[in-house]
Amino acid sequence: MPSINKYDAIVIGGGHNGLTAAAYLSRAGKKVLVLERRHVLGGAAVTEEVFPGFKFSVCSYVVSLMKPNVMRELMLPKFGLELLPLESTFTPLDGDYLMRTADGDQTYREIARHSKKDAEAYKRFGPLMGQIGMAVRPILETIAPNALRPSLSDMLAAKRLLDHFKTLSNEQFEYLTKLMTMSSADFLDEWFEFEPLKSTMSASGIIGTFMGPRSPGSAYVMLHHYMGDIDGAFRAWGFQRGGTGEVSMAIARSAEHFGATIMTEASVKNVIVKNGRATGVALENGDEYISDMVISGLDPKLSFLKMVEEKELPSDFVRSIKNFRIRGSSGKVNLALDGLPDFTCLPGEGHHHRGAISISPDFDYLENAYDDAKYGNFSKRPFMDIILPSVLDPEMAPPGKHVMSCFVQYAPYNLKGGWDDNKREAFGDAVVNALARYAPNIKDIILHRQVLTPADLEDTFGLTEGNIFHGELTVQQLFSLRPAVKWADYTTPIKNYFQCGSGTHPGGGITGSPGEMAAKKILGIH
Amino acid sequence: MAQYDIIVIGSGINSLVAASIIAKAGKKVLVLEAREKIGGLASTNEFAPGFQCNAIYDTLKWIDPRIIKELQIQSQGLELIEMDIKRIALGEKENKHIIFHKDPLLTSDSIADHSREDSKKWIDFTTHIEKLTKFLEKLYQLAPPSLPDIGLLDALSMRSLLGPLMGQGPQGLVNLARTAPMMMPELMDEWFENELLRSALSTAGTHGLSYGPYASGTGYNFLHQHLHSKGIIHNSSSVKGGTGAFPAILNNILSSNNADVRTRVKVTSINIKNNVCEGVTTLEGEEILSNQVISGLDPQSTFINLVGNQNLDPSFHTQIKNIKYRGSTARIHFALKDMPKIEGVNEDQMNTVFSISPSMEYLEKASDAVKYGFISENPYVEFSIPSTVNPEFSPDGKHVLTASVQYAPYHLSDSDWDQSSKEQLKQNTIQVLEKKIPDITKLIENSVVHSPKDLEDEFGLTEGNLNHGEMTLDQLLFMRPTASSSQYSTPFKNLFLCGPGTHPGGGLHGMNGYNAAKKVLKG
Amino acid sequence: MSYKNQFHAETQLKLSPFFDRTSVLNESQEWRRWSGYLSATNYELNHENEYFAIRTKAALLDITPLYKYLIEGPDSQKFLHRLVTRNINICKVGQVMYTPWCDEKGKVIDDGTVQRLSDHKFRITSAEPNLEWLEHNSVGMDLAISDDSSTTAALALQGPNSRDILNAVAKETLDDLKFFWMKNTRFGDIPVSISRTGYTGDLGYEIWMDPSDALLVWDMLIEKGKPYGITPTGLQALDISRIEAGLILLDVDYISSRHALIESRKSSPFELGLGWSVKMKKDNFIGKRALEKELKNGPEWEFVGIEIEWAQLEKHYRKAGLAPGLPSTAWRTSTPLYSGSEQVGYATSGAWSPILKRYIALAHIKNGYSKEGTVLDFELKVEHFRKLTPAKVVKTPFFDPERKRSCPA
Ligand SMILES: Cc1cc2nc3c(=O)[nH]c(=O)nc-3n(C[C@H](O)[C@H](O)[C@H](O)COP(=O)(O)OP(=O)(O)OC[C@H]3O[C@@H](n4cnc5c(N)ncnc54)[C@H](O)[C@@H]3O)c2cc1C
Repeated sequence: MPSINKYDAIVIGGGHNGLTAAAYLSRAGKKVLVLERRHVLGGAAVTEEVFPGFKFSVCSYVVSLMKPNVMRELMLPKFGLELLPLESTFTPLDGDYLMRTADGDQTYREIARHSKKDAEAYKRFGPLMGQIGMAVRPILETIAPNALRPSLSDMLAAKRLLDHFKTLSNEQFEYLTKLMTMSSADFLDEWFEFEPLKSTMSASGIIGTFMGPRSPGSAYVMLHHYMGDIDGAFRAWGFQRGGTGEVSMAIARSAEHFGATIMTEASVKNVIVKNGRATGVALENGDEYISDMVISGLDPKLSFLKMVEEKELPSDFVRSIKNFRIRGSSGKVNLALDGLPDFTCLPGEGHHHRGAISISPDFDYLENAYDDAKYGNFSKRPFMDIILPSVLDPEMAPPGKHVMSCFVQYAPYNLKGGWDDNKREAFGDAVVNALARYAPNIKDIILHRQVLTPADLEDTFGLTEGNIFHGELTVQQLFSLRPAVKWADYTTPIKNYFQCGSGTHPGGGITGSPGEMAAKKILGIH
Repeated sequence: MAQYDIIVIGSGINSLVAASIIAKAGKKVLVLEAREKIGGLASTNEFAPGFQCNAIYDTLKWIDPRIIKELQIQSQGLELIEMDIKRIALGEKENKHIIFHKDPLLTSDSIADHSREDSKKWIDFTTHIEKLTKFLEKLYQLAPPSLPDIGLLDALSMRSLLGPLMGQGPQGLVNLARTAPMMMPELMDEWFENELLRSALSTAGTHGLSYGPYASGTGYNFLHQHLHSKGIIHNSSSVKGGTGAFPAILNNILSSNNADVRTRVKVTSINIKNNVCEGVTTLEGEEILSNQVISGLDPQSTFINLVGNQNLDPSFHTQIKNIKYRGSTARIHFALKDMPKIEGVNEDQMNTVFSISPSMEYLEKASDAVKYGFISENPYVEFSIPSTVNPEFSPDGKHVLTASVQYAPYHLSDSDWDQSSKEQLKQNTIQVLEKKIPDITKLIENSVVHSPKDLEDEFGLTEGNLNHGEMTLDQLLFMRPTASSSQYSTPFKNLFLCGPGTHPGGGLHGMNGYNAAKKVLKG
Repeated sequence: MSYKNQFHAETQLKLSPFFDRTSVLNESQEWRRWSGYLSATNYELNHENEYFAIRTKAALLDITPLYKYLIEGPDSQKFLHRLVTRNINICKVGQVMYTPWCDEKGKVIDDGTVQRLSDHKFRITSAEPNLEWLEHNSVGMDLAISDDSSTTAALALQGPNSRDILNAVAKETLDDLKFFWMKNTRFGDIPVSISRTGYTGDLGYEIWMDPSDALLVWDMLIEKGKPYGITPTGLQALDISRIEAGLILLDVDYISSRHALIESRKSSPFELGLGWSVKMKKDNFIGKRALEKELKNGPEWEFVGIEIEWAQLEKHYRKAGLAPGLPSTAWRTSTPLYSGSEQVGYATSGAWSPILKRYIALAHIKNGYSKEGTVLDFELKVEHFRKLTPAKVVKTPFFDPERKRSCPA
């Protein structure tokens, strides 16, 4: 019997990946329903006016990894995707600074001020990482084969990848091996000598990751952040006009354009499973929707340990999902400012306000921050990756005012004694103090402050343990092992139940990739 | 005219194994050792009047079975003393320890005192580890492929690998791929809850590394330490007469095969002409010609010190320069007036290995010191009393206690390895020992500290690293010692490597020497 | 009619110590980046006068942006001997050698000159920064390397009258200074080194000095040079003359093997026409083994001069109803060369030679098509449409005047 509550596909979660999957399925003519728990779409890619007049990219704040073909195929520019380039990376130091810009000559000269050798090596390093990033791309763009019982198409995909690897030069292969295994500090030590340069570059290896720059494995996370491109410029990071949420909104508009129905404040309680098949979902409010398939954009813990009953799943799979590592280690502090931070080492307004500002003066600073977290405290002097969106897009804040986004590492989910309001504020204070060391005026210009701990990220955004990537990006949680062996191709042990969140291959970040590939798998394209 | 078919530089286990295999094949072999005694890291020395110690290894984890067979070292007199108790992890509170027996059921019983749950999983865990190591055992016997010339596919389908692979199905490979990059807490989280057990196992993962258990790749090191252990966790045995008996037996094999072994001969140069190795020159200026040279020294010593920068291609030079050593283990030998008493340990259990690491966090904190260039305030201490196994190590009634201490980083940030840093290390160690052996200070009659710097000076080990290069994932297999010289050969014709700096890394197993010898003989 | 330049822009580019002079002289206000420096493209609105100064009078160029390194110490000769392809052991004090240097695969990293300043002291110039490479390859040697790029300023004085001008300024005569030799002398009280080198293929010199003396030196040369037609000259004129001289330019005619992302972008010295500079008899140098192999099998590519035949070219234009229109400046866009239907090479830079009245280019040609006299098809765009027009392989240098090497008797 036909029912208006019956869909071809239901997507749980209106994060950008869920929306991407929905858009692709609608585009293929399916009748799709997206159910989002919150009142806004976007999940971790969301813009909210947290304080009147001040708009924030509440969680993720820069875009680079968004797949170009997703942008094109979903016509995202038409629906509002506008990426403004971030010009520079600025590392304030005590009494000096390091600044890297898009201009080769300028960057050479600036780095040479600290080390000539590094300036030369830097010129070679970027292109090399770009090459390695390109070499890895085919992996990212392949649906991860089933390593236990490969199908014919799995074998063909594996063969294609192996053939691809044979085309790499020895040097590329060596570097790739190193990137898969080393610490970002060790990897960079082989290239550079000026510590603030190394520590700042290594920082992309610790973002969202419960590791220090000297922890083996962090080099891979660094590579993960080197794989993006904007306008064909490899590794460039950009800012979405109107905040990151506009990326999600562009995808949502695209999905709606293709006919998808999107509901907010529709929290899914569980997936309805009958005879090992997903047949629909039940909402917290009791509503039920029926569909031929259900696709979860949530993280693996929620998708399998909360949305369905354990008994529906094979025990080894449940074990794998329980073993899936998803430790949160990041926080976010969003500041509404009365003016711009004034840096002691580079006073006044300048280019450095238009790019990323990195509080990463040396390895020991970062390692100390990590050690705090390792033993259950938030970092007393944290690493921060900061941008000032209102400098690039004045509409983010009232005239003359600014918004500042501070991504903070480390704040462990499992804080000793647990997180509470006092600890949250103490964490916020630590962030402001760490900033004040380089920009003393900061304390005087803060109008409002929003502090997000990993516990808040979990509560508000449904990120288990507050992990920003839906699961750690360690080698053993990638590709055919993400989130679990045999089920890395977006399918699940339950028929008609699929997964498309960042906990699947190729992982977290604003990429649209898991959503796209899941949809293509479902549609049998690829 | 070459005076020898083969010159082997160094006389550690791998050098001696390589030399023996080659000499047995009928070649004229010369072994050159700089110290007055052969054996390298396997030697046994007198460190105080009347007291002997095993320089580096008190126990032996495993020996390449092919060596045992081909060189018949057991019939030559190598006697391994198999203890029933492999290790005792000393507990912090109530003096409850975990005893690792040869028999996993007994170990499981011991664990039951700490956690019923963990005890129930023990047998499964040991089988799991045994399966994983089986695969590695095969992998270790091969010269690693040089990638990507051969290509990944060929590497993975290497025939002899298929056997164990098929045996376990692809699940085995997947498990290995998952486990190798793990950090110990990840592996432990999947199995155990008891902190003492978790940390006691983690010490195998951090063995000889400059990293703590929270470093990825410690999972791999854990497996490496358990090769040929048939699932016996912390498996090891002692050598009758001290570890030095092992090289002595190899020496006998050499002399019966007409090989020359010369000690106190320091090689100062490996002579290269037009990229071909022609022999060596010694400190005395003697030039010895040979058809081939095998170096048992580490890559830094071999290439930078002996071959010389000027002979290295720039990119090879970069690779060699980038090898990480970072020795962080120190050895302290104590001469004791009497047998120490450890609460909760019977007298007849004293001949095993003891570890002091109450929690993983303790172990990790100890390792933080390396990052900042300090000596661990509360180091991880692993000790044994070799005089219980070899009474001749000490005068009657007296004993030797040898501690391996982590972490004592080679690079100290604000001092050198002078007398006072060594003293500090000793005091830190004693204070840890004291918790288990309260009267240790009174028992100490004499002691000697070997910092990584001392090990470097004494044994020519770069940065005092016992494995001739860290056993981290980026320095294994086809990356060991470098991507362009990973098959015991070097960029130079007729120059080969056989030390722990090659695949499959460190330990007294002799596998590197064996593999290298086969490679040389194959030509 | 001219206007006073009133720009006062802040710049992020480096300024040479001559900038106080060059900035005022630059009527066209056309600048180009050279190694992070602001460098005059041409001083006048058109480069022609500057070009002819090189060939008929004397041109003064600010070449400070060149990278320069000093290598000093007992092992410096040994080091350079291993680094570069030429035989440094026979380089005498006061002598200069042009040479490429390679990576171990025999692919060229950079090219420049090595000046022997004393027994144990050399200066090497390069197009790109090379400090990292120099230091890496000198580990363990008894020498010191210092970056001399901003501690020494340099001018090139090129053209038939250059010797006369220097003789009028310098304390000592330059008459006896031979091609690729150098000497120390003074302009008034100012110490300078003068090498008989250049990038124009003409009689010419390069003058090396302390940056603090730069303006004085400039002024003296301009003053004494006036009667000889001294002309401040920019990079556009230089580019034409270096093509006429058959001299290669990094990043235009080849890519440094340190920066090439793919193998096929790298070139060996043989493939750049620098075979003469590779001294195979040397006991060892970086890249020797690879080059030995290459020599045995023959290089894959050759670097040659080509001349685009005028008559045919003219026809193409005439068909379109136009007189032949060639760019008046040198071009740097890679242009295909065919033999029949197969592409067998590409030209990397070319120019109409005003002195030779020929249309010439430098090209990479596959071995087998590179013999002198071989006629290939050069791709030409006439009014948006591609044409093929014959071009002949010819000897370089295209322009090679006697005066370049000769000394007054
Ligand atoms: C603080 C922070 C900073 C970051 N910075 C960056 C950055 O700068 N650049 C970058 O590329 N990446 C960044 N990331 C990572 C990136 O934002 C995420 O990896 C990505 O947005 C995840 O997208 P997703 O669609 O897979 O999942 P999510 O965005 O997590 O979407 C899941 C959605 O499901 C919804 N949901 C949960 N439970 C239910 C339920 N029961 N019923 C219905 N809906 C439910 C959630 O509300 C959410 O909307 C950051 C992440 C965080 C947290």
